[in-house]
Amino acid sequence: MKLKVCGMKYQDNIQEVATLQPDYLGFIFYEQSARHFDAHRIPEISNTIKKTGVFVDADLDFVIKKISKHNLKAVQLHGNEAPEYCKQLRGKNIEIIKVFSIKNEFDFSVLKLYDDIVDYFLFDTKGKLPGGNGYVFDWTILNNYPSTIPFFLSGGIGLSQIDDINKFQKSEASKYCYALDVNSKFEIEPGLKNIEDLKKFKNNLTSKIMNYNVNEKGYYGEFGGAFIPEMLYPNVEELRQNYLKIMAEPDFKKEFNQLLKDYVGRPSPLYFAKRLSEKYNTKIYLKREDLNHTGAHKINNTIGQILMAQRLGKTRIIAETGAGQHGVATATVCALMGLECIVYMGEIDIARQAPNVARMKMLGARVVPALSGSRTLKDATNEAIRDWINNPVDTHYIIGSAIGPHPYPDMVTRFQAIVSEEIKWQLKEHEGRENPDYVVACIGGGSNAAGTYYHYLHEPDVGIIAVEAAGLGIESGESAATSVLGKEGIIHGCKTLLMQTNDGQITEPYSISAGLDYPGVGPMHAHLAKTGRAEFMSITDNDAMDAGLELSKLEGIIPAIETSHALAIFKYKTFRPEDVVVLNLSGRGDKDLQNYIDYFKI
Amino acid sequence: MNRINQKLKEDKKLLSIYFTAGYPNIDDTTSIIQDLEKNGVDMIEIGLPFSDPLADGPTIQDSSTKALKNGMTTDVLFTQLKDIRKTVNIPLIIMGYFNPMFQYGIEAFCKKCQEIGIDGLIIPDLPVDVYHEEYQAIFEKYGLINVFLITPQTSDDRIRYIDSISNGFIYMVSSASTTGTQSGFGNEQTSYFKRIGKMNLNNPQIIGFGISNNQTFTQATQYAKGAIIGSAFVKHVTNEGIDTIGKFVDSICN
Repeated sequence: MKLKVCGMKYQDNIQEVATLQPDYLGFIFYEQSARHFDAHRIPEISNTIKKTGVFVDADLDFVIKKISKHNLKAVQLHGNEAPEYCKQLRGKNIEIIKVFSIKNEFDFSVLKLYDDIVDYFLFDTKGKLPGGNGYVFDWTILNNYPSTIPFFLSGGIGLSQIDDINKFQKSEASKYCYALDVNSKFEIEPGLKNIEDLKKFKNNLTSKIMNYNVNEKGYYGEFGGAFIPEMLYPNVEELRQNYLKIMAEPDFKKEFNQLLKDYVGRPSPLYFAKRLSEKYNTKIYLKREDLNHTGAHKINNTIGQILMAQRLGKTRIIAETGAGQHGVATATVCALMGLECIVYMGEIDIARQAPNVARMKMLGARVVPALSGSRTLKDATNEAIRDWINNPVDTHYIIGSAIGPHPYPDMVTRFQAIVSEEIKWQLKEHEGRENPDYVVACIGGGSNAAGTYYHYLHEPDVGIIAVEAAGLGIESGESAATSVLGKEGIIHGCKTLLMQTNDGQITEPYSISAGLDYPGVGPMHAHLAKTGRAEFMSITDNDAMDAGLELSKLEGIIPAIETSHALAIFKYKTFRPEDVVVLNLSGRGDKDLQNYIDYFKI
Repeated sequence: MNRINQKLKEDKKLLSIYFTAGYPNIDDTTSIIQDLEKNGVDMIEIGLPFSDPLADGPTIQDSSTKALKNGMTTDVLFTQLKDIRKTVNIPLIIMGYFNPMFQYGIEAFCKKCQEIGIDGLIIPDLPVDVYHEEYQAIFEKYGLINVFLITPQTSDDRIRYIDSISNGFIYMVSSASTTGTQSGFGNEQTSYFKRIGKMNLNNPQIIGFGISNNQTFTQATQYAKGAIIGSAFVKHVTNEGIDTIGKFVDSICN
């Protein structure tokens, strides 16, 4: 949950509060308020904090002037601003927060008028003044919240509400709660904030609420779990009880690290992309997972899981694959260990990824076509799960992404975490600091992203950017942008965001990139999206292809089309010249050559 | 008393039949139910089709895909079943995957089941602990029996736990498999059936997966209160349509 501190007034105090890195700082441009911000300027603060102007029925011109003068990133409208009024602030690259005050009851139907116009609602306690009255309203009213627009919870929130907030977090009423807004309960006098109390509050929120790792029940917030038929229970349970224990064994660690070094070729370089950086006027580093053996990050996980399977006494390995990258990485480690390998692959994917099918066969794997459903990745996964149901004793299922029933998302994330572990020390060598300003990765199921983010999840100064495939465009009906198009649901054993019909049938995604062509997203990422910890962007086929070509020409690196999606964000998002942006170059483009040839008519 | 519990009290071996709602044709649902009752079947599982039925083999997968293409949805099924209790008294169970029910809203779904006169649910991918913690109270509020699966790999402790949460019968999956993939029972299975029989569970057991004819039905009901037939029935309707249901039932019982 995000934090907004409102009613900032004094220069030194503003800078002090900013060091706590709240997500929003509010400045009240309303003369009648005791916290009226009347200083000439807002002091320099970190640009990850969104400066928010609070207005009460102000002239539109006045609002627009304040936005540009103070470089505001959000406006909070506290009066009786009509939808028409709000509409005129759209398209100004600013978040619009509309406030409603709640007493004992509230007619939520009024919110409907603001649909598609505002970004957030804010619910405050109704009092004499617009805001800053210091009373808490009855949050259970929000059980009736009929909208899906995220909201800020406000009104008299102080240190004494920590337990209530934790309870609220677990209740249905908090489903769309995006941020907490605090003000008068953290003041020495109106407009002067008590830093120690704010720090206590924020730490409590961080320690009790903002945990982005999996909990003991296998959930990331509300996402995750193990929704599996009883037939799979013994296998999944065996894994759950043993995976952390096995991963902690010195002998396991030694073998894993040795193979990553000698067989995969780790550490993969962290490369400063000079010409790309010049073009976009910021500092871009590429984490070269494309240089791994088999050409992508996938091998980090398959090495880990094959060692796990051996220690669990399994002799037969199954896997699913879309484009064939994970299939090849699995077939590779099976060859390495001399284990039987069966890879399920959609019949359609087999036809369009012939070179990878040949690779798997050369490596000794049996490639079984998935003939059900749409005959692509989703169906290959179904078939692999059915195989596991039919072979419950000797078989281990190597899932290739940060999806599936608990403990898979966590296990895969931990095996991929080597990526951010290396970034930390490598960046220290390059830049003298471990933390970049941003980490960027593309997301299908989300294993390369999970590895890239893992060691930065709880570093609030590191911005996390997740790039999904928009396919032909979000609205086109041919897309794989799950964070936008998905709803909470259950796919392949976990609760996550999922593209589906109103009736709960899983729908077919589309992307030019087979690796991003998945109707769900790992539960960790669903949680990062829901809490706002990660910024999700979606990139179309066309933009991705252009970005792939651009990297080839500027840096001499032909990326996988999955990775090209991540590279395309520079076209849309402007970074500061001094920002350090680390992007996971998750795979190489060899497998996509035919796609590039067809697309660019090379 | 719930119709399932009543039926379980009868002094006979029970035959339960599964069919996929909306298959072969969208409007076959009520006539299949009526015919099954008329021909002496004891219990019916109405399959709510799902796009990704993980626990099912090719037969039920295909019938589900076809049913969805025919336009079957949760709402359509509920509308078809609206007046079903005016014509049949047989215990009715809806069998489906969790996501469509979750999207409908679990409470709304259960409420609707009660209104229609559905007696129980089988949801293979809703684990027993999640059910117990989050949904049991809702199911019970609407008088629904939830049926859990056990397999040859399920440990005794877990079987006891499942038995303690169950209030109807336990669905005993005959072997480690998806639906419709086995033919006949070997020693491994019969010793599993015997092992469970000896546990003296509170809930009777009904065996499913791999029951396709008189021989397997007779074998299974030696060890359990009844048996469930799914894929074999779906195959029958695929091949012969819905007019010869009596012939199918006779072939199982006689």
